[in-house]
Amino acid sequence: MDFIIQGLSLLFVPKVLLILAISCVYGLFVGAMPGLTATMAAALLIPFTFFMDPVPALASIVAMSAMAIFAGDIPAALVRIPGTPSSAAYTQDSFELTKQGQGEMVLGVDVVFSVIGGLIGAIILMVSAPLLAEVAMTFTTFEFFWLAALGLSATVMVSRGSQVKGALAMILGLFLSTIGVDITLGFPRFTFGSVELLNGVNFIPAMIGLFGLSEVIRNVMEPHIAYPIAKVRAGKIFYGMTALVKKYKLNITRSSLLGTFIGILPGAGADIAAWLAYAVSKRGSKEPEKYGTGSIEAIVDAGTANNACLAGAWVPAMVFGIPGDSITAIVIGVLFMKGLRPGPMIFERSPEMVYAVYFSFILANLLMIPFGYLAIKTSAQMLRVPKKILMPAILMFCMVGSFAINNSLFDVGMMLVMGIIGFFLEANGFPVAPVVLGLVLGPILEKNFMMSMIKTEWDFLPFFYRPVSAILCTLTIIIWFFPFLAAFLERAKKKNQV
Amino acid sequence: MEKNDWIAGGIFIALGIGIFILTIPFPSLDKGHPGPALFPNILAALFIFFGLLLGLKAKKPSVDKPLENSTAAASIPKNIGNAFFILGIIAAFMVLESWLGFLLTSFFLLFLLMKKLGTSAWKSLTLSVLVTVFVYFLFYKILRVPLSPGFLSW
Repeated sequence: MDFIIQGLSLLFVPKVLLILAISCVYGLFVGAMPGLTATMAAALLIPFTFFMDPVPALASIVAMSAMAIFAGDIPAALVRIPGTPSSAAYTQDSFELTKQGQGEMVLGVDVVFSVIGGLIGAIILMVSAPLLAEVAMTFTTFEFFWLAALGLSATVMVSRGSQVKGALAMILGLFLSTIGVDITLGFPRFTFGSVELLNGVNFIPAMIGLFGLSEVIRNVMEPHIAYPIAKVRAGKIFYGMTALVKKYKLNITRSSLLGTFIGILPGAGADIAAWLAYAVSKRGSKEPEKYGTGSIEAIVDAGTANNACLAGAWVPAMVFGIPGDSITAIVIGVLFMKGLRPGPMIFERSPEMVYAVYFSFILANLLMIPFGYLAIKTSAQMLRVPKKILMPAILMFCMVGSFAINNSLFDVGMMLVMGIIGFFLEANGFPVAPVVLGLVLGPILEKNFMMSMIKTEWDFLPFFYRPVSAILCTLTIIIWFFPFLAAFLERAKKKNQV
Repeated sequence: MEKNDWIAGGIFIALGIGIFILTIPFPSLDKGHPGPALFPNILAALFIFFGLLLGLKAKKPSVDKPLENSTAAASIPKNIGNAFFILGIIAAFMVLESWLGFLLTSFFLLFLLMKKLGTSAWKSLTLSVLVTVFVYFLFYKILRVPLSPGFLSW
């Protein structure tokens, strides 16, 4: 009970609440702007979190990401362009309903069901994280090695597009993590005499480059388009929502659970949660023919799942130090920056901070109702901000933000290199998220492996005969062979049909 | 995308070979156990393996789905000059910031970029000043980041 009160007292401070409110507005703006992503917003937020205490730093990321994921629904409904990839699954349905004169209801559903999904996800996080942390307390270097391996394997498995490209992106991230002084002998690896590289690739400029600069480059290459914005009266967006909540209570439960579970899987983000919830919803619906032509049920399911996913991604991040998505990878980087090591010990050493994070989720989702309403009211103005003005401003933030961490122009150069890498990867169909997860998980993987090997004098057996290790190892191997198994089953199914 | 996959596969294979070469002088642990070179060498082998796989897959008809919301993945770039301009702006920032100072560098580069992207001269001028002052206030005054005053420090 003491920790709950301490957590609340850390959060309900005027300065923290002000930061939270600013982060909400920032998240809403970025989320509502087509072409800008929540991950980019998180990357640009890190230089500011560097100067904050841990609780406001984490609360600002929580609030910003929740708002950005919801705000992506607004341009989906008004201009048929998802603000973030998480809204892509139900963009067509949202816009079709807007064309049919139901835009007001669609926007209301977007707010209300995002809030419900977010709250359920937060409750699952609050219940499951401490239980899992108790289990994780018994983990040694062997289990942490397998956890990192499992996380990386899952990242490749769920990566969008080709899994080979996902694997290469992840290996690139792992390789970048090896740059700098190695952990066994303190030997400098791939530094080419650079003093700045001895501490490795600085995480913040790397994130800003991969997600911020690459987005700027992509956006300035696209021709300028003035979106025709559908006119929607947004006076009574919450009218009739109680009836919809009652009608779709089973959908809410199913999609919240699915979204949170997808969030827990490393590498799978809110966009995958929305697509899966959409597919499951269509399969279970009494009106599947409406999907794609304006189904409110589709919006309810996918909109609930993508917001529930956010809290889910924090479960492995907080309990094991394994990020659930790109945003939590950034969160882990922020925690390290603050001298905090995410993992089970954080529940013992800083329980008040853990509770503050839980309450941040609850508060951010509750704030979504007034802030979301205001965002909808001002959406027409937000969507009219031209990219030819926005992109130079974002670029300046990228450069100064990278510089701000070490007051070093070397970091601006690092941001430039990572931006070019991120742009070329994405332009050629390589997902960028596995690079980040590789960068974060690489040191965990290598450190735990080398420590285990030195401890056992190069005896591999403890990696396999310790019970939890064996389970994690089996799961990892199943993930490796899953694509082959799926292809084999598919072929067998086709043969049977013939 | 297939030709690009061939090239990308080749780049990753070359990277793998490069890592193998660079790790040759890395020391070993006691009793000859692998040390700092172990992890990079495993990654190098994986680069080569998956690079080859990517090249081989490129021979077959591609089944890759384009990335959602990523027009870059599917479309031919229309304004490649703008991308190079952005890179030039960053390089110029790195060279000019300590000499001209943040205020002048930021104003000058923002003005150039906004003009290049098609904003009118007056708008570019006004917005460059506003953005520069806002960034300066936020980072220098609030966050106490020591942005260079340049020759204005006189």
